[in-house]
Amino acid sequence: MNPAAKKTMIHVGISILLLVNLLPLIIALSSSFRSIKNMANPLRLFNEFTMESYRAAFTRMHFPQALLNSLLLTVISVVVVVLFTSMAAYPIARLNNRLSKFLYLFFLSGLVVPSQMVIIPIVQTMQGLHISGSQYTPILMFITCSIPFSSFLYTGFIKSSVPLEVEESALIDGAGLLRRFWQIVFPLLLPVTVSVVITQGVWIWNDYFFNMIFITKTAESPLPLAMLGFLGDQTNPTAWNVLFAACFLCALPLLAIFAFLQKFFIGGLTVGSVKG
Amino acid sequence: MNSAVLKKTMYWFVVPALVMYLIFWIYPILKLFQYSVTDYNGYVQEFHYIGFDNFSQLFQEGIAGKSLSNTLIYTVIFVVFSNVIALCLAFVLNMKIRATGLYRTAAYIPTLFSAIVVGFIWSYVYMPESGLIATVISWFGLDGSNLNLLGSYNSALYSITAVEIWKHIGTSTVIFLAGLQTVPQDLVEAGKIDGANSWQITRFIRIPLLATSITINVTLSVINGLKAFDYPFIMTNGGPGRATSTLLVDIFRMAFKEQQFGLASALAVVSFAVIILITTIFVLQLNKREVSA
Repeated sequence: MNPAAKKTMIHVGISILLLVNLLPLIIALSSSFRSIKNMANPLRLFNEFTMESYRAAFTRMHFPQALLNSLLLTVISVVVVVLFTSMAAYPIARLNNRLSKFLYLFFLSGLVVPSQMVIIPIVQTMQGLHISGSQYTPILMFITCSIPFSSFLYTGFIKSSVPLEVEESALIDGAGLLRRFWQIVFPLLLPVTVSVVITQGVWIWNDYFFNMIFITKTAESPLPLAMLGFLGDQTNPTAWNVLFAACFLCALPLLAIFAFLQKFFIGGLTVGSVKG
Repeated sequence: MNSAVLKKTMYWFVVPALVMYLIFWIYPILKLFQYSVTDYNGYVQEFHYIGFDNFSQLFQEGIAGKSLSNTLIYTVIFVVFSNVIALCLAFVLNMKIRATGLYRTAAYIPTLFSAIVVGFIWSYVYMPESGLIATVISWFGLDGSNLNLLGSYNSALYSITAVEIWKHIGTSTVIFLAGLQTVPQDLVEAGKIDGANSWQITRFIRIPLLATSITINVTLSVINGLKAFDYPFIMTNGGPGRATSTLLVDIFRMAFKEQQFGLASALAVVSFAVIILITTIFVLQLNKREVSA
């Protein structure tokens, strides 16, 4: 076989593989553009284009309010995560003694504990502090659960890529600890900050669990929680078009961000996961 | 000079994260250990210490055994398939062909969807009669109406594991790809000069140098597998019977639906031990095997 034919074969092969992989999403997308009554043969792709199902889903999930709530939860959580974990990683990476080694492992070990396991004591702690019923309660858990992985990324990066010398020259110029961190070290951490914002932002945006536990009012629900209102519809074929429209409304904001910032998503995933 | 830069006062920077971590993560975990030896129901603040009764109940009634084996099967299948498929995909996408960026995007897109959306869409895929798989096999003249992948006791666990694999492949592929791109080209050339074929180059040069990415991916997938909760919770609710009851689904059910919080805590302590044990073994083993270029 000549090289050109071989390459074509490879392209055809990959394309088929990825199309099969994306088929569930493609069918869901095609069905979401159908009218509510046009249910038969979901595999006959894109045979109708109407926004009827989207209008129904839009109203039912209170889309504008849910979108705003999602944005609020995600932005506040991610900003605090970046501030707290970059700060925490700084002494852990710089100081080389027993305490810093202990803190490193202490934070990292939290990664293996699933939140579903500890949820009742968490709810009780929140109740004990009288902060359990608020729209902002999940934020506390989003931040807490992001600490292990984010501080791990920051620590690794400071150790490998932020030389001590940059701080020494600042020290000679009389910069104190706070100024050295915020003006010199923190800006150099940008690649990890991007990575933390993306990895933690995506899970916080998509999380339904903590929202389900702490948020009870529809007006305070973010998008994934609004989706939970459709639970049961997935086994009812007559409700699929609206359900799929809701699925894509829920995913749309993140897909749009991904479309514009793709290289940061792909790059952000690999900071800290590759040596060198 | 170092001592002037590196002062103990730096430790103040840890305080905000540490305080949150202690209050909302460590303290609740310690509470679990306390509750695991009580008959606490989660609501009335009155409970009695009953020793290890919860633990013996868990094992005698086979509750722990079933959810433990479900979780382990889920984890093994998930770890093996998600990593093998992702590694193969990464090798293909690392070839010098056009449009790899497009393919990579296509592979990555499922990772952006919320677990709840993925659960809904895959429930449609698995639906008997009108679902995707049933429709496709009916084209081949087979009867799809009896094929109830999520509803049948034997296939439900494998079906939800497939969903987790599907959702996760994009992430692992991107990490493997980044690892492959750090393999020095001259090593590959040297291998070719020495007469190695492409399988030998992959086996003896690329894979050993991928050790860091393999460690990361395998460790993360082991942790994720042991944390299996979303798809059994959304798609099957642990059923049919207890076919898809993983440890976390059982803990959640006992705590929130059956108000047996003492028992749920005991199962949580068991899960905690299992998770710590398995993760530690994996991390230690994998770290030993890493090599550098």
